[in-house]
Amino acid sequence: MLYLIRKMRSQFNSWALLSFIFSILIILPALLIMVQLFAESNENWEHIKEFMLKNYIINSVTLVIFTGLFTVIIGVCAAWLVTAYTFPLQRFFKWGMILPLAIPPYIGAYTYHGILNYTGVIQTNLRNHFDIKVDQKFFDIMNIPGAIFIFTLFLYPYVFIITRSFLENQSSSLIENARILGKSSFQTFIQVVLPISRTAIVGGVSLVILEVFNDYGVVKYFGIQTFSTAIFQAWFGMGDIQSAIKLAGTLMVIVVFILIAEKLIRGRKRYSYSTSKVRPLQPKELKGWKKYSVLSLFLTWFAFAFLIPSIQLLQWVYMTYDVILNEVFLDLIWNSVFVASIGSALIVITALIIANFSRLSKGWFSQFFSKITVLGYSLPGAVIAIGVLTLFLALDQKVIVLYEWIGLEPTLVLSLSISMLIFAYVVRFLAVGYNSIESGFEKVGTAFTDASRTLGMSVTKTFFKVDIKMIKGAVAGGFILVFVDILKELPLTLILQPFNFYTLATKTFQYASDERIHEASVSSIVIIFISALSIFFLHKVLEKEPK
Amino acid sequence: MFVQIKDLTFNYKNSRKPLFENLSLGFKQGEVTVILGQSGSGKSTLLRLIAGLEIPARGSISIDRAVMNDSLRFVQPEKRGVGLVFQDYALFPHMTVEKNIKFGLHKMSRKQKQNRMEELLTLVGMEEFASRYPYELSGGQQQRVALARALAPNPSLIMFDEPFSNLDSKLQEQIRDDLKDIIKLTGITSIFVTHDEEDARAIGDRIVLMHDGKIQEAGRPEAVFKKNREKLSLAYV
Amino acid sequence: MHKKNLFTTIIMVLIVAVIMAGCGKSNDGASSGNDKAASKEEKNSGEVNLYTSRHYDVDDQIFADFTKETGIKVNVIKGKEDELIERLSREGKATKGDLFFTSDAGRLHWAKEKDLLQSVESETLNKNIPENLADKDKQWYGLTKRARVIVYSKDKVDPSELSTYEALTEDKWKGKVLIRSSENIYNQSLVSSFISLNGKEEAKNWAEGIVKNMARDPQGGDRDQAKGIVAGEGDVAIMNSYYFGQMLNSEDPEEVKVAKQLSVFFPNQETTGTHINISGIGVTKYAKNKENAIKLMEYLSSADVQKVFAEANYEYPVNKEVEPSELLKSWGEFKEQDLNLSELGENNADAVKILNEVSWK
Repeated sequence: MLYLIRKMRSQFNSWALLSFIFSILIILPALLIMVQLFAESNENWEHIKEFMLKNYIINSVTLVIFTGLFTVIIGVCAAWLVTAYTFPLQRFFKWGMILPLAIPPYIGAYTYHGILNYTGVIQTNLRNHFDIKVDQKFFDIMNIPGAIFIFTLFLYPYVFIITRSFLENQSSSLIENARILGKSSFQTFIQVVLPISRTAIVGGVSLVILEVFNDYGVVKYFGIQTFSTAIFQAWFGMGDIQSAIKLAGTLMVIVVFILIAEKLIRGRKRYSYSTSKVRPLQPKELKGWKKYSVLSLFLTWFAFAFLIPSIQLLQWVYMTYDVILNEVFLDLIWNSVFVASIGSALIVITALIIANFSRLSKGWFSQFFSKITVLGYSLPGAVIAIGVLTLFLALDQKVIVLYEWIGLEPTLVLSLSISMLIFAYVVRFLAVGYNSIESGFEKVGTAFTDASRTLGMSVTKTFFKVDIKMIKGAVAGGFILVFVDILKELPLTLILQPFNFYTLATKTFQYASDERIHEASVSSIVIIFISALSIFFLHKVLEKEPK
Repeated sequence: MFVQIKDLTFNYKNSRKPLFENLSLGFKQGEVTVILGQSGSGKSTLLRLIAGLEIPARGSISIDRAVMNDSLRFVQPEKRGVGLVFQDYALFPHMTVEKNIKFGLHKMSRKQKQNRMEELLTLVGMEEFASRYPYELSGGQQQRVALARALAPNPSLIMFDEPFSNLDSKLQEQIRDDLKDIIKLTGITSIFVTHDEEDARAIGDRIVLMHDGKIQEAGRPEAVFKKNREKLSLAYV
Repeated sequence: MHKKNLFTTIIMVLIVAVIMAGCGKSNDGASSGNDKAASKEEKNSGEVNLYTSRHYDVDDQIFADFTKETGIKVNVIKGKEDELIERLSREGKATKGDLFFTSDAGRLHWAKEKDLLQSVESETLNKNIPENLADKDKQWYGLTKRARVIVYSKDKVDPSELSTYEALTEDKWKGKVLIRSSENIYNQSLVSSFISLNGKEEAKNWAEGIVKNMARDPQGGDRDQAKGIVAGEGDVAIMNSYYFGQMLNSEDPEEVKVAKQLSVFFPNQETTGTHINISGIGVTKYAKNKENAIKLMEYLSSADVQKVFAEANYEYPVNKEVEPSELLKSWGEFKEQDLNLSELGENNADAVKILNEVSWK
């Protein structure tokens, strides 16, 4: 017993306290929603179960399985080709293949539908210049295969990034050995690269799967009924929060199942073998027909996933910019960048604190904190939004007394301020920043921290003098990934925006939901531009830094 | 005894069987002790326990008559005044040699810090490398810097975790001898951990033979080796 | 040592707090800056807070004009209708929202059902807005009106073949009807109106008949249905009148081309009338600026504003004194469903269930 108290005292410090506070804050909104999960089912739920549930499951699972499969194939192959070979533009594709991440899938969906439909550029040209009328079936993208196409185009970078950095840093000796042992490139790929990068691939694809489960924009626009549309329909359409929560709960069970499966596959392996001798893989030069076929594969893919949608959007911008561009639009950009920066900064700080704590103290308690960070990422944005709103309203109610005491009129302060929105971003995207920072810590190990402590630096001093400097790449990487995610975020922003506050994403949505896709192009292109710039920055600044 | 370990029990998370059970051991002031054992015998963990980097389940550790931990107290590693040279040196890659050595110097004026740093560089024979970054140094040079860094704050005890495992064998002898000289020069209490019999023989005033978390034998090198010839040769085939 | 830890804890909490306060403040700063600017230009007569699901730029223009005329500042949150309702109901008594503005009577009714609106008595509103386009209890009022019409291919369909919504379920139209998904509120309200006029049984028969005759699985918005006709996927489409107006005036010449090959038909002229719906507005139950809110409603229903308001989006004005735009007049006058629009909302839940039961995607 004495030892237990001593143990608690020896591990209890400001890091534990802050981790505890942040974790509670993050778990609260979800808890507020989840308590309603156990309410008795009502008539609507029976109706949903009878007529719709099976459909939701089939559609969602179909989307997830095929998107997962295709993103793995494309992401892994591309990652292998850019790390193991040199060919023209290879250096560009190393980060260029991440660029499609700048295009939110919902904008990709609007754009591809705009390109392919009857009045789209392809059919119009065929009709007007060649007098060809095509069967609409071949140009119909608004169905499940179409959605899989869109998701694959814009989500594969998750698999690509993780697999690529794994192959670059971790695998050189194994792959070089395979080559020396006389394996052909293809054999090396199948027998060595795939098995050793399994954990990295699974990490990437589980992000893809979570994104697909949470997507609302694409499936809603394409008229595909999935869990997320069903949650919206039940909650907002039927006004039945209980059924919505039962659906969200079902979804969460599936997501948790996937996360556990990921952990099991990962097992006790980590993404990195922690040796201090990291040597990059020496790429081999491709020659002849191989060079050109690989190059054309990359060019084609890049065109589909980035160039074509961007060019189409630019053409629409040209059609509509005179109406849309004005000083109000500058406000939109400012608002978007402002909330995204603050949100990302807070996420990085929170993630650093929790990750550092759970890394240094090995108890179940701290492991529990690190698992909580994923919670927000596995819940649909709208569910989080309502949870956060409920929490802030409750807080407001509590502090109204305080407001009165200060002399303010009793009113909503917190729940109408932008801090509510930013808090919700933190809950939603903490996992993204956390993963980046955690993998940064994993790569560095604890030796440097231990060294610093035996040299007389406390945990906190060590953190500022050693730890944070050694993982600044991962910190910046996490910041940028979160920044881009917040910039693209839609459902949560729509519900929690304060008065007269619009962002690029909500503006895009407003036009698109009125079926005015052309007008939506200006804000879309700015989102893509800022995100692409961030990705470029991520590559240029962070990946060039000496180890 | 300068360092006194009493009834120490420790187990790693996720493992039922404790690594140490009621382990007791002492180290005399100014003595160079080598803990010899195979990998997995728990010798590195023992160093980490003394340094305060791991928390024992039971038992007490005291250094220079000050209790570091028992059932009530736990002194954080930064307060123990113990130097530790890590197996792969753990030099901070974002700092120069100079900054690395100055890292552990607190409550000193800038001038004092500079003097101390220069003093140590001279001691380890690395005067010309002050402004280099660790990745610009060879393995042996890195080790000297690591030693200088650990000695800089003037610890009452210095510990080495497999100090020669990352060096090639030719270099190893040379460095071993240098290291021995430096330690003798400073007269500091030292604990080495190694799996190499030769190293143990060359450096140790006293040898502690460790196997599977238990102390097999402790004493003068000659005596220990003589008595355990059979066991040792079996273990190191 | 513990003292030191406590100290760092406090410092870190403070940092976070300052950052949080910083965001809060900079926002407040921005808005109060706006307030100041506004009050310098205009006499300060307070403000009115609006939750709206309409996103037309003309709305902002009209609100700005209103501010100019009255000095009342209009603060706006734009969102999806269902989520705004959820937000209002969560905020309860504490809400800052004074007005709720959305399209579709079904949604407005639902807001009323959730006890989010309050009755408003205003002679101006009673005069400007016909009785059937407002809530029975005056909790909401319609401001613009749209019809859900049949659009047909000029080449392939003779208007004499068209008669009623019900006729589209006949075998003659098998594989030729284009209509969007049942998730859409416009279709739900259409079915609701049939429930009111013909009973549940008939409404379900109709929905079943349409599903049977669909040219393709429902997909896309109303405009996509019109494009589907020209692309040869079907012959007739059910869509809202203003979308057709928007297409005729689109920035995209191809859309204009599509629309020119189509024509509008108002169904059920001999029987129950064409289905109409509104976008409408109501004062929230816990409005803090009720008077200002009513002023804005009256302003929006006034003849001058109605003209701009409706025309900009090719909708019909609700104010009888105002004539519809030339384009809408060219489509001709039509007989509307004789129905108080409250009923669309009352029947919504049944309509959704019917649509699910007949597997209307």
